[in-house]
Amino acid sequence: MKTVIKTTNLQKIYNNSVAPVKAVNNISLEFQEGEFTAIVGPSGSGKTTFLNLIGGLDKPTGGEIYIDGTEISTMKESELFDFRLRNIGFVFQSYNLIPVLTAKENVSFIMLLQKRSKAEMEQRATEMLEQVGLSDKLNSRPNQLSGGQQQRVAVARALASKPKFVLADEPTANLDTESAFNLLDIMEKLNKEENITLIFSTHDQRVIERAGRVITLVDGSVSKDEVIS
Amino acid sequence: MKILLILAWRNLWRNKKRTLITISSVLFAVLLATLFVSMEKGSYERLIDSMVKYSTGYIQIQDILYDEEPSIDHTLLFDEEIEEILNKYEEQIAYHVPRLQNFVLVATENNTRGSILNGIDPELEIKMNDLNEDVVKGEFLKPNDNGLMLAEGLAGILNVTVGDTLVLLGQGFHGSTAAGTYPIRGIVDLKIPDINNNTIYMSLSEAQWFYGTDNRVTSLIIMPENPARTQQLAESLRKVIDPEWHRVLTWEELLEDLLNLMKFDVAGTMVMMMILYIVIAFGLFGTILTMLIERRKEFALLFSLGMKRAQVAIVCFFEALFISMAGVILGIIISIPVVAWFYHHPIPLSGDMAEAIADYGFEPVLPFSADPTIFINQALIVLIISFLIGLFPVYKVFRINIMEAKK
Repeated sequence: MKTVIKTTNLQKIYNNSVAPVKAVNNISLEFQEGEFTAIVGPSGSGKTTFLNLIGGLDKPTGGEIYIDGTEISTMKESELFDFRLRNIGFVFQSYNLIPVLTAKENVSFIMLLQKRSKAEMEQRATEMLEQVGLSDKLNSRPNQLSGGQQQRVAVARALASKPKFVLADEPTANLDTESAFNLLDIMEKLNKEENITLIFSTHDQRVIERAGRVITLVDGSVSKDEVIS
Repeated sequence: MKILLILAWRNLWRNKKRTLITISSVLFAVLLATLFVSMEKGSYERLIDSMVKYSTGYIQIQDILYDEEPSIDHTLLFDEEIEEILNKYEEQIAYHVPRLQNFVLVATENNTRGSILNGIDPELEIKMNDLNEDVVKGEFLKPNDNGLMLAEGLAGILNVTVGDTLVLLGQGFHGSTAAGTYPIRGIVDLKIPDINNNTIYMSLSEAQWFYGTDNRVTSLIIMPENPARTQQLAESLRKVIDPEWHRVLTWEELLEDLLNLMKFDVAGTMVMMMILYIVIAFGLFGTILTMLIERRKEFALLFSLGMKRAQVAIVCFFEALFISMAGVILGIIISIPVVAWFYHHPIPLSGDMAEAIADYGFEPVLPFSADPTIFINQALIVLIISFLIGLFPVYKVFRINIMEAKK
């Protein structure tokens, strides 16, 4: 299998006035194409910081990050913007949709920034929204959708541009059980069908049970890395 | 670019009330500013029109020394040479009005008073300012008339009327004595008190004989076919008039003191306008700032998705521009009929102010100007202000820390 993400001795230290805080402490991991990975751990264990680092949103204070063989930790900000646009899909905890765009426009948004053809955007956005069960909500604005529906649109948006991997930061945290299971079904299905690497941070047991690999972080370090058969 | 415009436009309507209030504030500011400037300009235009019509004309040709030291010895010889020059520009010149003006002592049996004697060509003067319409007693001067026309105020001071004879005494050309007796043909109401109390009119030919100046005049007023091209005509005349002996002055140069006074007054108005502009600026700035603060997390999302800072900055800049443009366009659309209405129906004044204005011969109203530059200037000023305010979110967007904004 192809390695999509590789981190070597990854570190993120915050220099507080009292004492430096090692949010991510020497993490060396590899993620393979098509993996469905849950990063778990208690609050403050470094899950979100780790996702921000491999997503190119934050700069490490030490170590390296390779995405598809490209070192991203030394990239300039403008290069990182472009890199994220072309390679990474994001799903955040609190339904981060663009409020003034419809569901279909939200799903098309990244493809629009990538300057894909109108026909391709149209087809792919409709197809993705059908896959997440929202074919009847194409022209609904986020405020006309429930929390679960918004999160499904966010997943559709993250996957529509066919990124190398998708990072999801506690995607089910604000959802009821039914919506959470529904979302997980969709993510699992798309992961298999599109063969897109999915990495999500969570402390939701319902999510952990569905993951193919579970990495546990404690105090910024990997305490357990297990593949679930 | 289309998506950036869509985002900016839709963002404006996320909080309709706020956007509409901001647009309204810009609209009312533009409307107020336009009305304010229109009223001020209207008053100045009327004053200038009146001064040009009754006093200076658009262009004057004078002796080179007359402007600095107005004296009968510094007069201009209105000869064939000047006539020929004026003929060359006959297409641009509607007509010219010669005048000979000097101080004179005017006496009756019991009174003596210093006055200003104006030697005029009666027909040309009527053409220029309808002076005959201001005759309140007797008749207007005829060409080569050997009588006088007296301003009403001066007639009252001297206690004389039509048919009485006055003794005039003054200094003629090159120190000669100018003296004569003249019957009063008519009394004219000159409205402006200072002028009304010391003005005498005489036909030009009689005045030239009285002062012994032959064909000399103190000023030759040029009335252009197109007053808007006064400056160009003056420039052309300057090239052909002998600068060693003659001087060409425009009404702006002749009324320099008055214009400076107006500029001073305009500076006061500008302070008022600046306050208005600052109010607009703060209103707009407040809206933009609120929009920025409440969308920090959204900006972080857009950056995360791969939208560049410049693209987000353009969206924010468009938002500021859209609000102000909507306010400016609506403000101008509403201002045009309002100003047009006041232009045709000036605000009537009452009480002491109305009396004071009427004393100066003006209709007691506040006139408005419908000059299109007023609308264009206001629109440009507000747009420049909003452009500058629009740069603030651009600056802020480039400084947003994604990780902090995400929290």
